Order: sequence, then C-alpha cells, then structure tokens
Amino acid sequence: MDILAVTFDWSFITENGDELLAGLRRTLEVSAIAIAGAFVIGLVLGAARAHRVPVVSQLAAVYVEIIRNTPILVQIFFLFFGLPQIGIILEPFTVAWLAVTIWGGAFNTENFRAGFEAVPHRFREAGFALGFGRLTTFLNVTLPIGGRIALPSSINTYISVVKNTSLMYVISYPELTTTALNINALTLQTVETFTTLAVSYLVIVWTMSASIRVVERRLALPEDAR
Amino acid sequence: MSFLPDWAEPVLRYMLEVGLRGTLQIAAISLAGSLLIGVPLGTLLTIKFMPSRALIRLYIEVWRGLPVLVTLFLVFFLLPSLNPRLEFDALISASIALTLWGSAQVAEATRGAVQSIPKEQHEAASALGFGWIGRHVFVILPQALRRLLPPLVSLLVNIIQTSTIAQVIGAPELLESAERQVERLAAPPPIGIGEIKAFPIYATVMVIFFCISFPLTRLAAYLERRLA
Amino acid sequence: MRRLMLVIASTALAGVALATWGGIASAREAGPTVALAAAQAKLPPLPAEVQERKRWNIAVKCDTPPFGYIGARSQHAGFDVEIARWFSRFAFGKSNRVTFTCVTTPAREPALTTGRVDLVIATFTYNVDRDTRIDFSRGYYKGTGRLLVPNNSSIRSIADLGGKTVATTSGSIYDRWVKNCFKDTKLIVTDSFTNAVIALRDGRADTLMWDDTAVLGIAVTDRNYKLTSDLFLPGPYGIGIKQGNTPMKAWVDSRLNLMKKRDMFFPILKNTVPPAQVGPFSKNILRPNQTFAYNQVDPTTVCP
Repeated sequence: MDILAVTFDWSFITENGDELLAGLRRTLEVSAIAIAGAFVIGLVLGAARAHRVPVVSQLAAVYVEIIRNTPILVQIFFLFFGLPQIGIILEPFTVAWLAVTIWGGAFNTENFRAGFEAVPHRFREAGFALGFGRLTTFLNVTLPIGGRIALPSSINTYISVVKNTSLMYVISYPELTTTALNINALTLQTVETFTTLAVSYLVIVWTMSASIRVVERRLALPEDAR
Repeated sequence: MSFLPDWAEPVLRYMLEVGLRGTLQIAAISLAGSLLIGVPLGTLLTIKFMPSRALIRLYIEVWRGLPVLVTLFLVFFLLPSLNPRLEFDALISASIALTLWGSAQVAEATRGAVQSIPKEQHEAASALGFGWIGRHVFVILPQALRRLLPPLVSLLVNIIQTSTIAQVIGAPELLESAERQVERLAAPPPIGIGEIKAFPIYATVMVIFFCISFPLTRLAAYLERRLA
Repeated sequence: MRRLMLVIASTALAGVALATWGGIASAREAGPTVALAAAQAKLPPLPAEVQERKRWNIAVKCDTPPFGYIGARSQHAGFDVEIARWFSRFAFGKSNRVTFTCVTTPAREPALTTGRVDLVIATFTYNVDRDTRIDFSRGYYKGTGRLLVPNNSSIRSIADLGGKTVATTSGSIYDRWVKNCFKDTKLIVTDSFTNAVIALRDGRADTLMWDDTAVLGIAVTDRNYKLTSDLFLPGPYGIGIKQGNTPMKAWVDSRLNLMKKRDMFFPILKNTVPPAQVGPFSKNILRPNQTFAYNQVDPTTVCP
C-alpha cells in the first residue's frame, strides 16, 4: 500500500470547517425545498396521471418525458445560461432549487402514478359503495395505500435530488461541492478536500437510504406486515 | 440547411462531429466497463461468504451513494495526487467515474436477476457436472440476462445522460462542444458574432439528447412489459 | 452468456470504432514555406522526443477567445494556438505538425506532469507557487488585472472596494489577493469567467476583477460596462513545460526571443483579435522594444 501512503491534515477541518458547514447548509436547504416541491408535484401530477384527468394528464406526460429524457445538467445550463437570453434572469439560488425541483417532480410523478395505479380497483369501488365522492375516495383510499406503495421509490428520488444538488457547481452556487472545490483551488489540499467531500455525501445518502427501511417498516400496509 | 441562420451551421456541425462523438464514446466505454465489472460482482454477491459480500456491498454502496460528479472529481483530481501514474485525460476520467457508478448499478441488478433463477436450475446444472463457474456462466447468467435486459437499457440511457458531467472537466462531449461554441459566438467579430446564443444552442442539446433517450426508454418499457 | 459477451464485445467494439472515427482536425493552410532554417541555425536544437514523434503535442484552451477557441470551421484558433502553429513551422517547416489537446484551467498542470503534452500554451499565468511544480518559458503575454464596472458605478479604482462585492474566478490570483488584502470586501468566486460575468450582470457583484484581455472584450461589446483606469497585479502568461526539461525550455525561450526580435507577435495579434482590441492588446505582447518579466515575489501577498 506504499503507493497510497497519504496523510490527512486535520487542521484542514478546523481551518475550513465553517465554510464547509455553510456549504453543507446550502446543500440541505436546496434539497429540502426541492424535496417538498417534488413531493407536491409528484402527488398532484401522479394522481392526475393515474386517474387520467383530461388535459392535465397529457401535459404531465409531456413534462415527465422531457425531463426524464434530457440530462439534468443540460436543464441547469438551459435555465441559467439559456433563459437570460429571452429576458428571464434567475439567481443561482433560484436555479439551484428550481432545477432539482423540476427534475425530482418529474420522477416523483412516475413514482406516485405507479403507486396509485397499484391500488386494487376493488378498494376504490368499496369507497364509492360507501358513498364517497371521487376526491374523498382518493384522499381516504387511494392516497394512503398508493402513497405507501410509492414511498420507497420516492425516497430514492429524494436521495437523487440531494446528489444532484452537487451539479450546481456549474453555476457556481456555493453548496457543498462548489465550496469544497473553491477551498481546494486555494489550499491545494486535495486529499483532505475530496475525502471530506465524499464522506459528507455518503453520510447524508446512507442516512437517507437507512430511513427507507425504517419508514417502510413503520408505514407497511397491515397485510404486508406479516 | 438554408433555413438556419448563418452562425448555426458550423455550431451544429461541431456539436455533432466532436460533441456527439465524444458522448457516444464515453457512453460505450462506460457501458462495456460497467458490464465487465458489474456482472461478475453481482454474481459473486449471491455467494453466502460474509467477507466477500461485505466488500462487494461496500463497493456498491459507495459508488451508488456518491454523486457521480464527486466521483469524477475523485478520479480527476484525487487519484493523481495519490500517485502520478493514476492520471487520466478528461474523457477517460469521465469513463472511469461512470464505470464505477454504472458497475454498482449492474452488480445490484445482476444479483437480483441471478437470485430470481429457481434453485432447480442450479441443482440440474450441478447434476450435469458443472462447477460453480461453469454453472453460472453457461446456465444461470444466460437466463438471468433476460431479466437484466430492461434495467441495462435504462442504465444505458442514464449513462448517456450522466456523461454530460464530463463537461465540468472539459472532456469533448456534447454539452462541452456546445459551451465552446457559445463562448466563441459571444466574442466580437471576426471571432464570433458578439451575441450570446445560449438559448437556441442549449435547447438543441436538449433536443439531441431527447432524440437518443426517448426511443431507448420506450425500448426499456417494452422489454419490461414483455418480461412481465 | 453468449448474448452477454456479445453485448459487451459489441459495445467495446463501438467504443474503439468511435475512438478512431474522425481524426485530427488540424487546419491546412498552404502558406509559403518561410526560410526559417537560417534564422534558427545557432539556436538550441529541437528536443529529441519531439523530433522522433515528428509532431508537437500542445495543450490549448478551447473556450477562451481570443487566446484559444474553436473556430467556425471546427478548427483550433486564437493567439495561443497561432504561437503553437509557429512552433510547428520552426520545428518541421509546416504549421500543421501539431496535435492540439483542449485543457481547462485546473487541468493544465496535470497535462504536463503526466507527459501527455509537450507544452501548455493556455493563458497560463506565471506564479512562484506553480513554478515549483512545472517550468515556465519566458513570458509571452502580459496579463494585467482590471476592474469591470457598470457605467454608473461608484467604484473608480481598487481604493473603493471596501464594502463592495467582487466577482472573480476561484483559485485565481485575484481570489487570493482580495482574500489577503481587502478584508472588508466580499467575494463571489466562480468556476468559470462566464459565471463571474453573469454575477456582475445579475447585480450580485458590484465589479468583476480579472485579466484585462477578457474584461476588455466585455467592455467592448457591452455598452453598459466600462473598465476603471487602474492596472494591478501584472501577471505575464508563460508557456508551461514539464519540470526539469531544460532542452525544451531552451528551445521554447529561444524561439520566443526570435519571434520577439522579428516582431512576429504583432501580426498574430492582428489576425486573431477583433480590430478594436488590437490597440490596447499590443501593449501586452513582446515586441522588439517592448518586454516584461515575471514577478519573483508572490504579488498576491503585496497589498496596495
């Protein structure tokens, strides 16, 4: 292992800790906004898709296909470098949360659509038989069951949202990755910078994936909890 | 191409000849690398031997857990500082980063596919005198491949799209080729036209990616349905 | 399994096929072969590795007009690129004996240390720190720091930066200098010059601090912005050479001196820079009676 003999200078953490924490805070901030936004978009458009609400369903399908079939990095370029040309100037922070929200919303629409469509038809019929209207049936039957089915895949989307905030490096929004790279450009402490950066992301991502298992267990449908 | 403005033709030509070529190159290398590493790792993961499983798990969780951009930085900036021989040009660095990430995806998918093959197939193959390797190579994996095909097509779409991160380190792929042309056009004549053309150029990049990805996602969905 | 192998083999094959597709897009200009042999008679010989390869490998920028960019015919073009073409003429009598590699700012040093290229001609500002890891030729272009401000700005010089926000690129000499010397000035550092310009245009920054060549381009094309009159942090660009390759440095320095003596940088400038910029740029190039040298102290530690 001689070729990989490296030392980690711990003063890197004490000297740059504040700046890195500020970057981490922005990463979490942007992620939180995007996750909330993606949740709402996914819920509404997913329901519209699953229940084939006219017009909304078709528009949602177009939105989902465009976002899923183009790279998010190009979407960010388009928002930040392309839109100003037609007079729409967005701050880096706005582009940061907007880009991942739009992206997460598209994937979440598919997650929720699949979840809602997985709810057996007879359950909804039971709701109608009880005299529930369409909305009440959705809120009391389809949402609780379909939402739980969609939960693991939607958390996976949220994890991807967090990871994708790193792409804001290209618009120089000072989230965690940009901050780390800026520090590296000045200190040239490559080993320290990138180790810290990688470990930070793994901690966030692994915590979130562990939460899938916990949430899955707690919110499991009674019939699955055998 | 008379319907295009004068500035567009050279831009488009460069994007297709240099950019698209680079994108497909990165994607092809990364897909091949992901399969070469991911399929054996995924198969080995089905062996109930704790140390090997723990190691492969760690590999999968690390490369799936890190943002691919961060992996790319590790390959491009960190590796050379550990050892100067571990230094690769931008295009190869991007391919390595995508291979690490892609192989983790393939390994996980392969494990699932291999485990979905009924136990009887293993037993029958053993009865025919196959050892572990022969059993997997000639009996199990060919069957698992059928299940693996839809996720592999999705992975290809993902790899093609994610290859755009190579732009960050200046590898000649589609987005980078577009960015170079935007920069040139923004310069005053005679270099460029002194105008920012980011909107139509990045919109074109989106259209090109859409034209590649859309048929492939359809194909993946079709393969998935056929399997069900 | 055979299908799997087929998939792997065919994608690998596709990769190889793509890799060989195309080739080198070097511009073919059939100019008159200048009698360069006589002028070079007493100058140091071409390093053996380049002689054997019969070709230069040179790293240039591809998104930084007017120094290195991709032209309308997909060809490499710009001031730095033209110097590389002259090196090809000096070495082999033809301008096309050079393979260009595109580099980004952070990739310049690695391109040399790994030996991937012979030379880096890519707006490479000399500094003492870099000089410990790679070698530099003599300076061939004098970059100077300038402030780009909106026309109605209250900033008239670097003395007015207190309490203001400055945009510049991360890791640049300006980044270090402002951090060291302007404690009550806020900094927005970006990964690219383009993003720094956007920060100024959005109003997130009050001024943009960068090399005169680049900010001048903005001031020329956009009437809403102007340059303040002060010049600071002069930082000549040098050609990057692998550390310790003395024959290479001797060859490059002698040819740069030859080009200086014969005033060859000026025609290059006229051919690569928009007409309006030729005047101001001509003060920054090597000419028979015009020269400049590197700073031997780190200028970012010297506060005004």
